[in-house]
Amino acid sequence: MNIEKNFLSKLKTYLIFAGPMTFAFLTVVILPFIYGIYLTFTDWNGISATHAFVGLDNYLQVFNDKVFWSSFLLTLRYVLFSVILVNVIAFFLAYLLTSGIKGQNFFRTGFFTPNLIGGILLGFIWQFIFSNILVYIGELFNLPIFSASWLTDPNKAFWALVIVTVWQYSGYMMVIYIAGFMNIPRELIEAADIDGANSYYRLKNIILPLMVPSFTICIFLTLQRTFMVYDVNLSLTNGGPYKSTELISMHVYNTAFLSQQYGIGQAEAFFLFLIVAIVTLSQVYFSQRMEVES
Amino acid sequence: MKRKKLLLIVVSLILMLSLVVGCSTTDSNSPATTNNNASTESNNTSTESTESVKITFLNSKGEIQSQLETAAEQFAKENPNITVDVIPAAAGQSPFEKISSMYASGNAPALAMLDPGDIVQFKDNFLDLSNEKWVSDTVAGALDDATIDDKVMAFPFAIEGYGLIYNKVVLDKAFGGSFDPKSIKTRNDLEDAFKKVEATGVKALEISPMDWSLGGHFLPIAYTAQSKDPAQVYAFISDLKAGKVDLANNEVFNGLMDTFDMMKKYNLDKDDPLSPTYDKGPQVIGQGQVGFWFMGNWAWPQIKEFDTANEQYGFVPVPISNDPNDYGNSEIPVGPTKLIGVDKAQNNQAQQDAAKEFLNWLVYSQSGQDALVNQCNVIPAFKNIELVPNDPLAKSIEQYISEGNTLKFITAPLPADHWSKLGASMQKYLAGVIDRKGLVNDIESYWESVQ
Amino acid sequence: MQKKNGALNAIKIVVLSVVFLLYIFPFFVVLINSFKDRKDILMNPLMIPAKLNLNNYIEAFTKMDYTHAFVNSLIITIFSVILIIVLSAMTAYIFVRRNWKFNQFMFFFMIASMTIPFQAIMIPLVKIYGSIGMMNNKWSLVYMYIGFGASLAVFIYHGFIKSIPLELEEAALIDGCSPLQTFFKIVFPLLKSTTVTIAILDILWIWNDFLLPSLVLISPEQRTLPLSVFYFYGTYTIEYGYAMAGLMLAIIPIIIVYLIMQRQIIEGVLRGSIK
Repeated sequence: MNIEKNFLSKLKTYLIFAGPMTFAFLTVVILPFIYGIYLTFTDWNGISATHAFVGLDNYLQVFNDKVFWSSFLLTLRYVLFSVILVNVIAFFLAYLLTSGIKGQNFFRTGFFTPNLIGGILLGFIWQFIFSNILVYIGELFNLPIFSASWLTDPNKAFWALVIVTVWQYSGYMMVIYIAGFMNIPRELIEAADIDGANSYYRLKNIILPLMVPSFTICIFLTLQRTFMVYDVNLSLTNGGPYKSTELISMHVYNTAFLSQQYGIGQAEAFFLFLIVAIVTLSQVYFSQRMEVES
Repeated sequence: MKRKKLLLIVVSLILMLSLVVGCSTTDSNSPATTNNNASTESNNTSTESTESVKITFLNSKGEIQSQLETAAEQFAKENPNITVDVIPAAAGQSPFEKISSMYASGNAPALAMLDPGDIVQFKDNFLDLSNEKWVSDTVAGALDDATIDDKVMAFPFAIEGYGLIYNKVVLDKAFGGSFDPKSIKTRNDLEDAFKKVEATGVKALEISPMDWSLGGHFLPIAYTAQSKDPAQVYAFISDLKAGKVDLANNEVFNGLMDTFDMMKKYNLDKDDPLSPTYDKGPQVIGQGQVGFWFMGNWAWPQIKEFDTANEQYGFVPVPISNDPNDYGNSEIPVGPTKLIGVDKAQNNQAQQDAAKEFLNWLVYSQSGQDALVNQCNVIPAFKNIELVPNDPLAKSIEQYISEGNTLKFITAPLPADHWSKLGASMQKYLAGVIDRKGLVNDIESYWESVQ
Repeated sequence: MQKKNGALNAIKIVVLSVVFLLYIFPFFVVLINSFKDRKDILMNPLMIPAKLNLNNYIEAFTKMDYTHAFVNSLIITIFSVILIIVLSAMTAYIFVRRNWKFNQFMFFFMIASMTIPFQAIMIPLVKIYGSIGMMNNKWSLVYMYIGFGASLAVFIYHGFIKSIPLELEEAALIDGCSPLQTFFKIVFPLLKSTTVTIAILDILWIWNDFLLPSLVLISPEQRTLPLSVFYFYGTYTIEYGYAMAGLMLAIIPIIIVYLIMQRQIIEGVLRGSIK
């Protein structure tokens, strides 16, 4: 479909179709991003009218900051558990909800509901649940696991974050997996049944390979969202207790606005960008190769 | 093929150009142009006569947002040509973040209520208020943090103080008669009081584990009680920064932490010290489930909800030694905790005048004083205001002030992230995750990292 | 065989119901507490309120300036979503149908940009648009949503348009339609299901978004619903009763839409993920 033969008509077509979007995209996302990278080489504090050029100082500071690295490792741990749990649970729910049981639409509707509400509000709701409701239930039924708020123990607060993340995203991923299941040709499964394949064999050799595209999307989306999570972190634990659940986005934010070291915060944000870009793009690359192979 | 390459080059050149143009507009962000922006905008937004002025007021005390909105309406009634929009810096957002985004966007508020430590960042943007009438009516010491290079850069909005809040009904019962807060002068006195309270069957005290309370209020007692002379306190903080303080052998610090260790033993939540939220404090002190709670006068509206002591509460100091004559054993920290600056960089003359008018209204008009003291429940920093907030905690603080028994409520000399970072260390200490040595280590290395 | 399936189905339904209750529980908690005052909430957060006390709602409704915030949210969401849909469908179309190097490059560039954390651009963004006087304005916000929404929408449309056979368009072109006419008459209607998907995703995102509007919209009369709810929370203390009612007020419109259109919404998201 290459109708345009010369450069000018190509340019015209491009501008008519993609011009406005390209312009908005470049001016809203890319331009500030580049300007932000420039700011990482300065000592700007976010307010003052002037800033001095400091070269790579900010990056050196980031690499020598132990707290930054521990926050980074914590984020990796959080991403790992969240991505696995979200996808396992979503896959499992999708599997159950495509097996033709009664009321499956009702269940789908329910599981998707958390996605209707923004992260800040979800965090507030769950904070209330962890520090009031569960403690209350703990007292009522004498359950030691709930006797204290989960949000005050570093380890439990971490799992609280994971739980809320799973709760928030599994419904959405479930819908994508349902789509994947519905795309599997019935005949294939029936053929396997006739051949006497057991359900493990069916899962491993028929369903999973055909579900690779769904996994690609879901894992990409969960990786991207969990690496950058901020609002749930803010409204659920606010990094506490004693900064033990400060994920990387929040660390970036606090460096920039609380410690008022804007250049360093921006350098950390740029580092975060590199990591997310490398991880997600290589994930997409490898799973697309898997798709081709299977 | 060549065509395509050419297309790529040309379009990317166009895009680069648009980027460069975009950049140069941002670089021309001189005060003069933004000033114009601000004034034209204000003209656009004002719907009334050409003389009407609209100003914004950034409020960082979220709990009095609605009271301030009412005050702004009242002010507008008395000054029909001025509208004041009160904008809150919401929970979870630092006021600094809110205001830096407002400055960056060219919409700086005319009035910005900030923590004292933030003021110095704005010394080039804020108006010199040294010649305002209220400067001479301010109580002693309240302008220390607002004064930069000998110029008054901000208006002291609220005086606040903190210490151990006591429930008089519980204490009266424990002491078998009327409890005298002045009887608590040493650590042993306090422990004795704790024991007496426990003997009546309720717990002695509640320690709320929020980082802003432990790192912003409790720990700084160790700095401010170093000396009666403010200059010595500032010198101590500079020494901390320079790494010249041997905290492990500092008498005041160790005394304060010994008291903290003692308090930990009697803490209502000692089994799980990090679990209580702020909300638990007002509940347990108000209902008399504990005798004491470490907090400040801002907690009154919440205590009042649970009050069972017929509004009889007050403060006792956190003693730092067993010598009743030691500085800090009869004093509680009191000081201005919120300062209001007037922007001159992005607000025009009329807006700056309107902002100054609003501050004068708070101090000198009857309705302004009423709004400040009776509605916002603020202890004013001005000698001419005779109103006292009608709450027992504010009255207790007024008494400490009038008797001269105050420590400096130290805020401005502390770096902006002090409460957060060392608050986290104090939480670890409270939970027993680190010992005294670890805490000293945290504090010293924090101060050394401060630039 | 039949019996075994019946037992299996029963187990499945039990498992699903338990999980379902866990998913719904938080909403239930917010609902019951929105009728209680702060003290009752702190004393017993699970107690079912004895009577329907609407005080919190009245208070929240007036303090949040609800109607205003609702209208703001509505305007911003509707315009942003419509513009994102039209512009990104056109963009994706040209990316798919003209395999110029530059198009491939831009497409990759947009996908790659999905990994930029918002924190990395927010202050430069505010600084740039502030300096040209585009802050504190709904329409600037709409413009920014177009920029931020571009990548995902183009990505999803791209996947779909690839699967549309070329013949129809070729026929239209032979009939003398311009590329633009071809797109709007032939292609865009075929994208309906994708459009629904993108509309749903973007409505959910923009309606609930917090950080960007909090930076862009400054004066109170510009606030969106999430901003109004958020400003409801005090600095040191939380007015739980009001807050819960405020949360409900923010959730209710979207829940109503969801209940009416649940089939379309779920199916929209479903279709959105089949490439």
